[in-house]
This record gives sequence, structure tokens and C-alpha cells, in this order.
Amino acid sequence: MNPPPAPGSVTRRGVLRTAAWGMGAAGLGSLASCASGSGDDIAFWHFIVPGTPNYDKWLLPLIKDFNARHKVKVRERYIPFGDYANGPTLQTAFSAGDGPDVFMLSPGDFVRYYNANALADLTPHLSDAVRADYEPAALASRTFNDRVYGLPMEAEPLALFYSHKAFEAANLSEGDLPKTWDELLDVAQKLTGADRFGLGLETSPGYYQNFTWYPFMWMGGGSPIASDQIHSTFDSKAATAALRLWQQTIDLGVAPTKLRGGGGTDTRSNLLTGFCAMQQTGIWAVGEMKLNAPKFEYGVLPLPTPPGGKQLTVAGGWALAANAKGSKPDAAAQFITYALGSEDPACVKRGRLWNTVIKKNLPVRKSVRDLARRKGDFDDPIYQQFLKDIAPTAKGEPRYPVEIYRAISDALQACQLDGANVKDAAADASEQIATFLSDYKGGSIL
Amino acid sequence: MSRTSLTRLVPRSRPGESRAAFGFVALDGLGLIVFVALPAILALVIGLFNVDGFGKIEFAGLHNFQLMAGDKLLWKSLGITTAFTAMFVPTAFVVSLCLALLVRKPFPGVGLVRTALFLPNVISLVVIAVMWQFLLTDKVGVVPEMLGGVGLGDVSWLGDPALALPTLAFVCVWFLMGYQMLIFLAGLQDIPGELYDAATVDGANAWQRFWGVTWPSLRPTSFFVLITSLVNALAGSLGFDLVMVLTKGGPANSTSTVVFYAYQQAFLYGRFGYAAAICGLMVAISIVITGALFALTRGGRFDES
Repeated sequence: MNPPPAPGSVTRRGVLRTAAWGMGAAGLGSLASCASGSGDDIAFWHFIVPGTPNYDKWLLPLIKDFNARHKVKVRERYIPFGDYANGPTLQTAFSAGDGPDVFMLSPGDFVRYYNANALADLTPHLSDAVRADYEPAALASRTFNDRVYGLPMEAEPLALFYSHKAFEAANLSEGDLPKTWDELLDVAQKLTGADRFGLGLETSPGYYQNFTWYPFMWMGGGSPIASDQIHSTFDSKAATAALRLWQQTIDLGVAPTKLRGGGGTDTRSNLLTGFCAMQQTGIWAVGEMKLNAPKFEYGVLPLPTPPGGKQLTVAGGWALAANAKGSKPDAAAQFITYALGSEDPACVKRGRLWNTVIKKNLPVRKSVRDLARRKGDFDDPIYQQFLKDIAPTAKGEPRYPVEIYRAISDALQACQLDGANVKDAAADASEQIATFLSDYKGGSIL
Repeated sequence: MSRTSLTRLVPRSRPGESRAAFGFVALDGLGLIVFVALPAILALVIGLFNVDGFGKIEFAGLHNFQLMAGDKLLWKSLGITTAFTAMFVPTAFVVSLCLALLVRKPFPGVGLVRTALFLPNVISLVVIAVMWQFLLTDKVGVVPEMLGGVGLGDVSWLGDPALALPTLAFVCVWFLMGYQMLIFLAGLQDIPGELYDAATVDGANAWQRFWGVTWPSLRPTSFFVLITSLVNALAGSLGFDLVMVLTKGGPANSTSTVVFYAYQQAFLYGRFGYAAAICGLMVAISIVITGALFALTRGGRFDES
């Protein structure tokens, strides 16, 4: 017979029992991490970084408020942006039939999710007043057949940011700020030095690079597809001119073949470090620079235009969508409208907090914009400039399906970085787009 | 030595030992079945279906496999994977063998040198990629700064389509050379010293000792290193992790390996059936190549030649 264990000593049975509890807890833990909500819970997946003001001052209070007023409780889960936008986590969850009830969705993915019937219709939860309160362009890219399938959180237009220090070092003044493509190349050449590039454009292939290139194509009246959504129109003067411009920036050595750090969205690694004197990026950089480098002196200007072209930019932004295949799509839709799309003054106040206080982007609801204006949120001169000069020229981010995105991306990469003939590349892409359109039966692309 | 005398030399194992041995092998075998064999078979099966990633599954027969024939980007990816393998496998082999020969004999600080050479292998590939991204940054990175003196300061190692793949292969060699060096080191230390003594007595110089003693004795080790690095290059993490972080398949698809292309098809474009068919193709290619190598070496039984 074994002697009785001394108090506090470790026995084999004790170890086994602990292991069994541990495995049980691990099992419960993994159950808890299931995406689709269980019981009275709904799961909300996002990439808002814990510990940041966006998370602590906006997301957590929002969930707390909602949970305090509703029987259904929201459980949030943070997924790092790289994984969320380009990784397998979200897609794997949907593949396994265990997608989150509420999730953030970019316009680039909207058609794919809609065509798979994965998006719940939010229309019944939206009042006419709220629909009318939204900027039409912002809501249009999330609408199919007049039904709303996602509520935009923000509008984030692109512009050209420039460093005062780099301009001074090159003996350039504000009068030299480029307004045309030719001037852009000329100024970028003057700004380029041994340790600095004059201009930073996105170089990594992906949705974001296409997104940043589209306005250059649009300026000359180009589009990858005709308004009938049957014919490809990518093989056009406007598209080839935009491809040529991006190619010239590399050929002339005024733009890097690879941006630093996080690429085109990352001003800290490129504009702030002096790696690039000018950088094409979005309004989010205004808030980031205020937070990270409040003393850094910079300015913004609208994207330069081609001869005879129209001043244009693109405005991106994420939306909240509800999983139609989740266990509680109605509750998920209710949460989304509570968060972003209700007439409640608290919702408008929350919108202001997200758009103009914590972040610096453009509200997509008129009521939020009015409140922000009354509170003086737009008094910052750069923010003012975005509001007055840049936002009015912004087109919503297109929701081209992946086949169109890929054809354009391959053409852009080949021209920008591999010296391809722009006319041949545009013709190839146009042919691919035409093949896709001839067989496409999904939701409206435009 | 005859079979009878060999049997006499090897003690007969007791029944308990056989069961224990089976138990150890069974665990590994189970792991191989669950994590390697089953996914490989499933990939082939899923390749017969159109799977949209949202629960819709339709039988497609051989359609996905037929699609591959006309997919220019897939063929380009296959070419890139072949080029990457051709650059990486022999270079890693030669470099790690040379390193193993250099640190084979004890000298002051040999442990430190071996550790330093092995260190990259204990770091996550993602961290390695981020680190090299900094080192290779155009104009201001450490590498362009260092090479500025020889007129290579303006070279874009990751941004030039002609250089991005060789650069990736270089980083992979740097990452894996320490691990392969250790394998070679173990093989070198198994070579009996008497063989070298006999060769020296016969008047063999250093090169003749390497070619006559070291190289043939190392054949089983070399075979192992070759097979593992080949699989790693064709379908392993090397062909994916570094591409994902460093280049995302660019510039201009010049680093889009087959594994990366299959990943894009599945997780970015929602074409799971097609991605599975591509993976099935890679499994088939890997089986054919490793099978051919095993056939050429009669199952790696070098000691019987």
C-alpha cells in the first residue's frame, strides 16, 4: 500500500486530475473562441487594436452600453490587421460555417460575400431618416437592389502628403506644389536625393495598391467596366496613361520599388523618416501624425491631374456587416444599427467620437458631420483642407470582384515594376476582365 | 558478414520492448496520418469540387484540374518554384557542408561559432522576414549602404523582379544553413577517424581525403539534407512565410511560388476547390521527385553499394 500523500505533495492521481481539468478547460476555452455566438451571445470580429483610444474609448464603451440594454450580449475578438485583411482567419471561419455574427468588411470583398449570401439585409433595421442621413455614395457601395447590406463606419479619402522639411531642403516652396502629372514627376525628381525618394506610391500587390491607383485611372475618364456591366473598357487611353505614370515614377528613380514598413498606409516609416518627401496616403495619417509626431510639419494636396483630366480621389473605409448564416442575424443587425445607424443622439455622438475625435476621417452621416463641425473638430487646417478641397472630389471605393481586381493588379505590377508595355498590359487585363464579365451572374458591380 | 553472424551479434528484443517500440512509432505514425496523409488525400478529393468558402459545395469532376492547364499564372508560379528550388537547394547544401567542415574540429570558441551559425534557425520566419526587410530597404538599408562602395547602392533587392527571387533564396539559405550544418556535423562525426588515418598514411592530400573518405561516408546524410530541403523549397514554409511577409508575391508576380498562389486562390479569392487541386498537383510533384530520388539511391541504402 502506498503511504498517504503528505499535505501539499504531488501525487500521480493529482497530476492526472489536474491534467484532466486542464484539458477540459482548454476544450471549453476553444469552445468559447468559436466565432458564431452561442446562447445569448453574438460574436464581433474586428481589427481595432486593444489598448488604443479606438478600442478603449469607442469599442469597449459601445459594447458595454449595448450589453447593458439588450438581452443578447456582444463578445468582441481582436484579429491583427494583416491577418484580418489578408490572412485566413475570417475566411476559414466562414468556410467552417462558424463565421462571426458581426464583422468588418471592406468594399473590395463586398461582392464576394454578397454573392455567397453571407450578408444579412440590414434594411428592416434602418429608418428612412437614417438612410437619408447617410452620404449617398458611402451607402451606395454597400447596397444591392436598394437593400443595405453593410453600414459604413467612415470615409477615408486619399491625398498627397508632403514634408515641409524635404521641400525646404530642395529649395522648393508651396508655389511648387504639383498640380499636374508632369509637375508631379518634375517636383519628385527635384526632391529625390541620395537618401530620399521624391514620391512614395504603394508597390506591394494587393487590394490596397489597386485602391490607390484607381483615381489616376478615373481622372482621365477610365473605368475597367462599361456601365452595362457586360463589356470591359480597361483597354483605354485613361488606363494606359495612369499605368504609364506609375511606371515613370520607377523608371525615373523618383519613387522606391518598395516602401518601408507597412507600405503605403505607413507614414511613420516613409514620410516621417524622410525616406519619401511626398507620399500618397489617406486621411487616417492626419490622426496618426498628431498622435505619433505632433511636431512634424507637413501639408496635403489633392492628387495631381493629367492633361485635360478631372481632379478626383478615392475614399475607402470599412463597414460593419452581419452574417446571414450566423445563429442570430437579426441580433447582429440590431447591434450594427445600434452602433452606427440609429437616430438616437447617443449614436450620433458615438459617430463623432469615432470619426473626428479619436480618429481623423470623414463622417459618412450628415448629422455626425454637423455635430463635429459645431464642436470645432474640423478646425485643424489640414483637416479643413480635406473637408473642403479633397472630400468633394472623392469617389467611393469600387467593389470590383476579385477577378477584375487581379487582372488590374497584374497589369499595374507588370508596368510599375517590370517595365511591361503599358498598352499590351492594358489589353491583356481588358481581355481577362471581358472573359470574366461574359460569365458573371452575381450582384451589381457598379 | 553473414546473416547468421549478424543475428548472433544483435540481441533478440524482449516482447515488452517490441510493444514499446510499436507505441513510439504508432504516435508518430498517427501524427503523419492525421496531419500529412489525410490532408493530402482530402486536398485531392476537395479538388474535385467547387467550394466557395461559404458552405456551397458542388461536384466539379476534373474541371479544377483542367483549369490548371490554361492558367498562365499557375504555370508562371511553377516556373518560379522550380527556379527557387534550383537556387536554394544546391546553395544551401554547399554552404552548410562547407560550414560543417569549417567548424568540425575543435578550436577556441567553436561552440560559440556553431551557436551563432545555428541562431537564425531558432527565430520565427516572420521575424526573419521583417529583419531582412529593414536590412534591404532601398537606398538607406544596411545592405545598400554597405554595397554603395562597389556601386550597388541603388540596387533594389526586393523591388526588382529580376533580383527578388534570388534575394529570397539567399535569405532562405541564411536561415537554414545552421540547421543543415548541424546535420552534416553529426554525419561528419560518425566517420571513423581510422579512415582518415589510413588515407593520410597512403599520402592522400586534403582534397583527396574529402573526395575519397568524407564525401562517400556522408552520402546518407547528404541524401537526407537534399530531400528535406527539396520538400521545404517545393511546398514548405520557406516557399510561403518569407514570400507572404517580404514580397506578397511581387514585384510583378516574380516571387509568387505555387504554395503562395494556392493560398491566394483559397483565402483571398474563395476558390477552395481550385486551390486544393493545385495542392494536389504539388503533392504529386513532390511524390514523383522524392520517389525518383529514392529509386535512384535504392531507398537511400548507400551502405550496401
